[in-house]
Amino acid sequence: MNLAKVEKSTWIYLIFSLLLVIVPFIVTGRSMQFIIIQFFIFAIFAMSYDILLGYTGIISFGHVMFFGIGAYSTAIVMNQFDSTVLSFILAIIIAIVLAAIVSLIVGVLTLRLKSHFYAMLTLALAGLFLVGAEKWRSLTGGNDGFTFKLPEILRDSQNFYMLCLLSLVLIFFGLRRLTKSPFGRVLMAIRENEKRTESLGYKIVHYKVIASVVAGVVASFAGVLYSISLRFVNTSVFATDMTIDVLLMTIIGGVGTLIGPIIGAGLVEFAHHWLSSLADVHWIFERWIILYGIVYILVVIFFPLGIVGTIQKKFFNRQNFQKKKQQNHRGKLEEGRDKDEIYRNG
Amino acid sequence: MDLISTLVINGLATGMLIFLLAAGLTLIFGLMSVLNFAHGGLFIWGAYTGVWSYQLSGSFIVGIIVAIVTGLLLGLITERLIIRPVYGNHIQQILITLGFMLVLQEFIKVVFGPNQIAVSPPAFLQGSFYVGDVIFIKYRLFIIILGLLVYFVSMFILKRTRIGLIVRAGVMNKEMVQSLGINIRLVFMLVFMVGSAMAALSGMLHAPYSGVIYAEMGLEFSILAFIVVVIGGMGSFSGSLFAAILVGIAQAFMAYYVPALSLAVNMLLMTVVLIFRPQGLFKAKG
Repeated sequence: MNLAKVEKSTWIYLIFSLLLVIVPFIVTGRSMQFIIIQFFIFAIFAMSYDILLGYTGIISFGHVMFFGIGAYSTAIVMNQFDSTVLSFILAIIIAIVLAAIVSLIVGVLTLRLKSHFYAMLTLALAGLFLVGAEKWRSLTGGNDGFTFKLPEILRDSQNFYMLCLLSLVLIFFGLRRLTKSPFGRVLMAIRENEKRTESLGYKIVHYKVIASVVAGVVASFAGVLYSISLRFVNTSVFATDMTIDVLLMTIIGGVGTLIGPIIGAGLVEFAHHWLSSLADVHWIFERWIILYGIVYILVVIFFPLGIVGTIQKKFFNRQNFQKKKQQNHRGKLEEGRDKDEIYRNG
Repeated sequence: MDLISTLVINGLATGMLIFLLAAGLTLIFGLMSVLNFAHGGLFIWGAYTGVWSYQLSGSFIVGIIVAIVTGLLLGLITERLIIRPVYGNHIQQILITLGFMLVLQEFIKVVFGPNQIAVSPPAFLQGSFYVGDVIFIKYRLFIIILGLLVYFVSMFILKRTRIGLIVRAGVMNKEMVQSLGINIRLVFMLVFMVGSAMAALSGMLHAPYSGVIYAEMGLEFSILAFIVVVIGGMGSFSGSLFAAILVGIAQAFMAYYVPALSLAVNMLLMTVVLIFRPQGLFKAKG
């Protein structure tokens, strides 16, 4: 491997990842570690959503169904079999295969539709999964859900932290590779102008389906980790609120950048924690979802690129601006010379 | 026989309530091409303010009027603050109205408290009567009649008056209408207000029908309304009526015969319709 070819940003991300490895040794509080773990899990979930929304321009309101599939398949496997590492691996495989199949079917059936119809249909399908989980009580325990046992190695929160961090880093680099590949470029072309991409000879439905399968599988994996972090599962993993949460994370962080959803997930997770702890201070904070909603609206109006997107734009604009300034400078010099000549002559 | 007709009447009443909600939605989508996910928020605000004034004054009519006024005012605010910055961008519309929906829903809990509120129909609409073997519950009959009234009045306004002509022309070609010297922005705002008032009215009528109101029913019902609009064909008024009745009756029959599926029946209907007719059952003609 040629180290010189590795991009500078890759090094920065790797250093950050290494810093995060040290965190559990410094932060030993269980609740704080739990929050960081949740942040990792939702960062994975939000990245998978960004593949749809940010890179391909698809709004799905049903993305939560893959998350739920992952969570439930883990919980059910752990519940039905012995809680060993082997069954954990089996759970992951089942979750991924199931999510791939469902996302493939859903994608083939629905991705021909226009954006708003697609959004509605995915909402309905996620609703079907929610109803299914509520009704199939013998398997899912309905709304009450059920707890399950974990293999010894995952019970230690330090180990689990490392597992989540490792997954986050691997998935991040994997998805980054994907989005920088020619395939990712086609996805972005679809986002920018579907008709033009089609007229260039790309079969856009194929690309969209593949994107939705990738997103579905990654979301399902996030669901696996989520149910393990709670050691419990109930129908809330299929709820629309979860989709809204992950939408907010993606948008605040910045759509179309993979690091954006991670930052967004961090902000939302910590804001959740902080705002709900403020409830003791004043009763209005019990209704913190209002603040949440207002932030959401303001972000969409004034900050549509999100944090990372805005920074990137500023950065690129500055570069362009400097180029322009140089050009203008030269222009002004010439102008000045003209004026001087006029003075001298006139 | 009497069972079937009872189920049909139940279905019709539910259908009419959904129609009122969906009609506002389809009007707003048809004219302004705005996907308003905050519609359910207007629905619960109509329900809460209407019920509050109904219980305070003891008059159901006052409740209905207050609900409609609330809908108009909230529609005005929503259009000005929320919709105007995102005209023409579907993705942003979906996101921003969803955020506003959250705010409306939580704000209900701040103003009226987080608990459920029980509501009963007014005295003159309580009870039922028989025609032959068939039971007619007065309040359901009232909803059906009111829903049909709203449908016919709206259709009359849309098809027979100058305002309706402008609205329909606006659907076809916004710029052309604007160039004729008509303030299409103002028309948009009025249509949005009327659509919101329909949602609020639907919420108010729904309260005694289900007997209880709670803040979360906004999202549930807006999903239902969206399903109806999608089945009927987005932007088609008659399509919404047809689809609402279809969904209402399907729900009533499913709830009786296959209770396990009653929650999923709308979604199944929509999935089937969209797969075979992605544009909905009726084509939007404005």
